Amino acid sequence: MKYTIAIHSAPYGGSAGQAGLAFARAVLAAGHEISRVFFYHEGVYQALSSAVAPQGEVDLPAAWRTFGEETGIELAVCIANGIKRGVLSADENDRYERNAVTLAPGFELVGLGQLIDAIVSSDRYIEFPQ
Amino acid sequence: MKKLLCMISHAPYRDAHTLELLDVALVGAVFDCEVSVLFRDEGVWALLKDQDATSLGQRTVSKVLEALETYDVNAVYVCAASLASRGLDQDDLALSVKTIDHAAQALLIAEQEAVLGAQT
Repeated sequence: MKYTIAIHSAPYGGSAGQAGLAFARAVLAAGHEISRVFFYHEGVYQALSSAVAPQGEVDLPAAWRTFGEETGIELAVCIANGIKRGVLSADENDRYERNAVTLAPGFELVGLGQLIDAIVSSDRYIEFPQ
Repeated sequence: MKKLLCMISHAPYRDAHTLELLDVALVGAVFDCEVSVLFRDEGVWALLKDQDATSLGQRTVSKVLEALETYDVNAVYVCAASLASRGLDQDDLALSVKTIDHAAQALLIAEQEAVLGAQT
């Protein structure tokens, strides 16, 4: 079965990051596929590279990156939700003349159409809420 | 054609939840999905008429709702119990929506292929 997974809370604003990541690993371990992980609402903060996790706590942007590298699954951040919260790729940093690229490695800023595309091509859509 | 339901349950000016979910509804419609929207709990306030969010420095949610019809999203529902418990009725609302009870909401949810905003 093919899944689309959506993450809607920020690292310190809810459990969506850790629960979603654990679920994504469990989905793959059970032999299913994931079309894309989509970060929406406050979930875009999972991709903020300038966050520094306290010692002894999981560094979620890094944990997602490891997951992406190990599995090849796309980590897609809604561009509209991302840039208004300060999550900027190099392109968006140039476009809006800001002074920091804050999109963590391994993530991509994409249009909302990519969420719909993933849902349409999946059997299940699972959302980890705010 | 995929059937998508967006459930809006946060008060409209509490956070970005309402406008960001309406964006999903509109983009879903552009991508040829059959989109429904259900307002429930505090989300029903989004439907109130005579809204003006100018002083909040935000977009007026009821104005954005008018775009739903433009994008052929005509399946717009509101939870009857959520309206009644807030002392609201159809006359208080900015647009014509279908008021449905919990049993009808269960049927609506059951016929979807994806539900967004299901948990608050």
